[in-house]
Amino acid sequence: MPSTPSDTREDSPPDAPGRTAPGVRIGGLSVVYRTPAGELPAVRGIDLELPPGTITGVVGESGSGKSTLALSLLNAVQPPGRISAGSVQIDGLGDVVTLRGEELRRARGRHVGYVFQAAQNSLNPLKPVGRQLLDLGRSHGVADLRALVREARDLLGRMGLDGARVLDSHQHELSGGMRQRVGIMFALVLNAHLVVLDEPTTALDMITQATILRIIREVHEERGLTTLVITHDLGVVAEVADRLAVMYGGRVVEQGPTRQVLGDPLHPYTRGLIRAIPRLVGDIGEATALPGRPPTLATIPAAGCVFRERCPLRMDLCATQEPPTVAHGGRLVACHAVEGGIREERAGAGNHGGQDGAGGPDGRDGAEDPDGRAVAAGAREEQA
Amino acid sequence: MITGQGITKTFRQRGGVLGAREVRALRGVDFAVGRGGAVSFIGESGCGKTTLGRIIAGLEGHDSGEITVDGVAMSSLRPRARRPYFRRIQLIHQDPYSALNPTRTVYQALLAPLALRARQTGRPASWVDGRAGELLDLVGLDPDYVLPRYPHQLSGGMRQRVVIARALTVDPEMLVADEAVSMIDVSLRLGILALLRDLRERLGVSVLFITHDVATARYIGDDGELYVIYRGQVVERGPVETIISAPVHPYTQALLSAIPVLHGLERPGAQPVAPTGTLEEDKPDAGCLFARRCPFATARCAEEVPVLGRTGDIPQEHACFHPEARSVVAVPAGRA
Amino acid sequence: MTAPIVVAGGSRAALRRNFRRGVWRVLRRKPSRMLGVVILIGFAFMGAVGPLLYPERLPRDDDALYAPPSWEHPFGTDFEGTDVLALVVTGSRYVLMTALVTALITVVLGTAIGLFAGFRRGRWDSVLMRITDMKLTIPALPLLLVLSTVWKFESAVEMGLVLGLLGWGGVARAVRAQSLSLRERGFVEAARGLGLPTTHIIGRELLPSMAPFIAMNMLIAVTGAVYAQVGLFFLGVLPFEANNWGVMLNLSVFGGGALTSTAALPYMMAPLLAILLLTLGIVLVVDAMDEIFNPRLREE
Repeated sequence: MPSTPSDTREDSPPDAPGRTAPGVRIGGLSVVYRTPAGELPAVRGIDLELPPGTITGVVGESGSGKSTLALSLLNAVQPPGRISAGSVQIDGLGDVVTLRGEELRRARGRHVGYVFQAAQNSLNPLKPVGRQLLDLGRSHGVADLRALVREARDLLGRMGLDGARVLDSHQHELSGGMRQRVGIMFALVLNAHLVVLDEPTTALDMITQATILRIIREVHEERGLTTLVITHDLGVVAEVADRLAVMYGGRVVEQGPTRQVLGDPLHPYTRGLIRAIPRLVGDIGEATALPGRPPTLATIPAAGCVFRERCPLRMDLCATQEPPTVAHGGRLVACHAVEGGIREERAGAGNHGGQDGAGGPDGRDGAEDPDGRAVAAGAREEQA
Repeated sequence: MITGQGITKTFRQRGGVLGAREVRALRGVDFAVGRGGAVSFIGESGCGKTTLGRIIAGLEGHDSGEITVDGVAMSSLRPRARRPYFRRIQLIHQDPYSALNPTRTVYQALLAPLALRARQTGRPASWVDGRAGELLDLVGLDPDYVLPRYPHQLSGGMRQRVVIARALTVDPEMLVADEAVSMIDVSLRLGILALLRDLRERLGVSVLFITHDVATARYIGDDGELYVIYRGQVVERGPVETIISAPVHPYTQALLSAIPVLHGLERPGAQPVAPTGTLEEDKPDAGCLFARRCPFATARCAEEVPVLGRTGDIPQEHACFHPEARSVVAVPAGRA
Repeated sequence: MTAPIVVAGGSRAALRRNFRRGVWRVLRRKPSRMLGVVILIGFAFMGAVGPLLYPERLPRDDDALYAPPSWEHPFGTDFEGTDVLALVVTGSRYVLMTALVTALITVVLGTAIGLFAGFRRGRWDSVLMRITDMKLTIPALPLLLVLSTVWKFESAVEMGLVLGLLGWGGVARAVRAQSLSLRERGFVEAARGLGLPTTHIIGRELLPSMAPFIAMNMLIAVTGAVYAQVGLFFLGVLPFEANNWGVMLNLSVFGGGALTSTAALPYMMAPLLAILLLTLGIVLVVDAMDEIFNPRLREE
């Protein structure tokens, strides 16, 4: 079984060329789902670049299209969904959208490692982890399975687990945090240098989450990866990502360096989202729920800004024209209000319902008591 | 007033590598929740907090200890006689998707308990419909919109509100909210938390909040009490704000240190504590349960068992031989 | 057990109306489902009204024994010169009646026992499941052979009763498994926590969630019952007092030599076709059950 370390060769990663972190350029990507009501866009016209060697975090609520985006990176959108436009250029691999069949299968795992949303439950319950590893190796034509096992053991050891023991274990013998690490091992063991983690810490508690996030960060640096983390939790992104993209209703509404976006959010949705997170320090009353609710596939507005119904800065223009993505310093923002220089006005006017400077370091102003109102207003509009 | 004294519970599991094994989910937990009060239990998954919630809501039995509801000891009553008491304690499930029957409309979900209530209290049947509307209003939903709908037609946040409205049909004294917002979209969570806080103020309902996210516990009531549970034992207990700003038990410090820092907005705390190793149930139970993972453990910790209580001038209760306040939580970046 | 409550705006009537509309929508979604419904309605009509269209004693035509199909006799005639179509139609009542009684008993008994055992668990569960196991070990065919020596099964209800009492075991086991998993669901726990009576929990919370499953079992039990009784009559195990599809098969094969000569072939094919058509109708309708009883699939 996988726990015999008798091999003399040194080159541990199975037939690994000296690859480095690839860059990824997503251009004009649209994904539609076929429904009884026609083809509806889950992801619309996304431009996103993952610079080589960085960790990019994609944050969004349910229905934001973030998981669909992650699947597109492997051209793995399942019917009734399909990529309807755009390209995903990965260095050393080309445009993934044009790959088919066997080519595509080989690219998954070797070039792009994927840790699934429910990695805790994505192992085969009937087979020990080691056997599943061998299956993976064989299906990718790995010549030296011993080296593969050794690599897996090293990876698990690196993540603080007893590799040999884990490979001999069944899924039910591992805790949630251990399974998550096994999932990461599977994504990396074929020496992929682009890794996609979909909700890597959902259903884990705080201490385990902190451990996993530290591991993601460390492994990312040690192995020279380009990493994409998909999550609904701003805290996760804040801890781990260099760059942050905020998705809403199938669009990227704001992206840029994490600290900039969190420290001085520009898009009203980003601001609202940050403001909706209860914090450990400061006036708890400052936290305010976002009114309304996130759109579903069927309720994403076909024209205009996707966020307008919940937006405190809504203008007439927003109903008809889709806001273009405009650069603001190191950031890209898609908002008419931001583009129109509303920011300058905002500094003086305090009548935007306390949304101003939602979480800016200097923005702890205008905290008119939102208690009660958060209940009544927040919920009522939820069903609008 | 709902209290518990020395609640213990042991699960016997079959199977596993070593055959049958015992998991001590609760090792003598005391608690008290007054009218309109807020008590939060925090801890890792597997620490026993969910089991405690189910026991308090009467959905599961316990091995020893006593639960009292308004001064009446539950062990003194026959199972059937306990029911009306436990009905005053309603559990709000983590998962609003499975908490509502997918084949029944919101109206049907509220109708059954309200009809029962009407019969018990001798109210006319016509009271039911008005009351259903009232309750939905109270939880911030539009009755006309929600009543005829099936659960799948509502968002997660709306569903959780319906679940809360359903719990309110029996005029409960306490809501036990077990990770009540963890499955709800981030932008809607705060609305549910605000609702629970609001219910405390308006109806005098007390809330027992079970979570692994301390910040949400704070939102339910900064006047509330926080219980930190580790492996079935309360290791620190006190006012929410006190424990967040000056935790003394290393486990509490580890929990608070693990909360993500919003870099750009916040800076990490000055003295973060990281536990060594992971939670493992099958360890021997000599000494302090946290000793093996504790970076500050001494020889004494491996031998003696610390008991929850107060020492020195530390305001909160704790179960640690070496209590020392550390500032572990993130601070706003703007402040010094 | 729900109290008679005056519902504002006739909400309950509205629910029922919505349900009917939903069923109609689901059926219209696929033409095959409509076809299935039409077939089943046709058979119900045949069983209920068909026999009334023919005289008590079907006319014989001694000049046309084993006549080939013609306009007058679409499926030819039998050994006595009686119209085969008339035999199929008049024989349908016994077959369908038996099937209905069997299906009802199977489902009602199986569901009740399964639900009760699964919801109560503990001692009730053990006792009921042991009884179910014992029942499952009784071989039906030999028992029927024995019973037929003392019992003539002249009425369809008697026949259905026996087949039903022999058939509920599987349903009980399956329903029990379902209720065991459903009782852990949040909404069942909530109902218990609210102090709702057991009758409510079983009848209003568990049962509707299992409705598609139960309805499917009911329909499948119908086909099972048809096969079982037709098989028994075909084998000649049961004395044939009544006109019946199984009897027809028996006479065509063993009396008319339908397997070796072509003369009695239509005589054999007619009841076979009827059975096939009935099965087809049921299979087509079963396909819609999931959508009918699941509000999400129904409303979409």
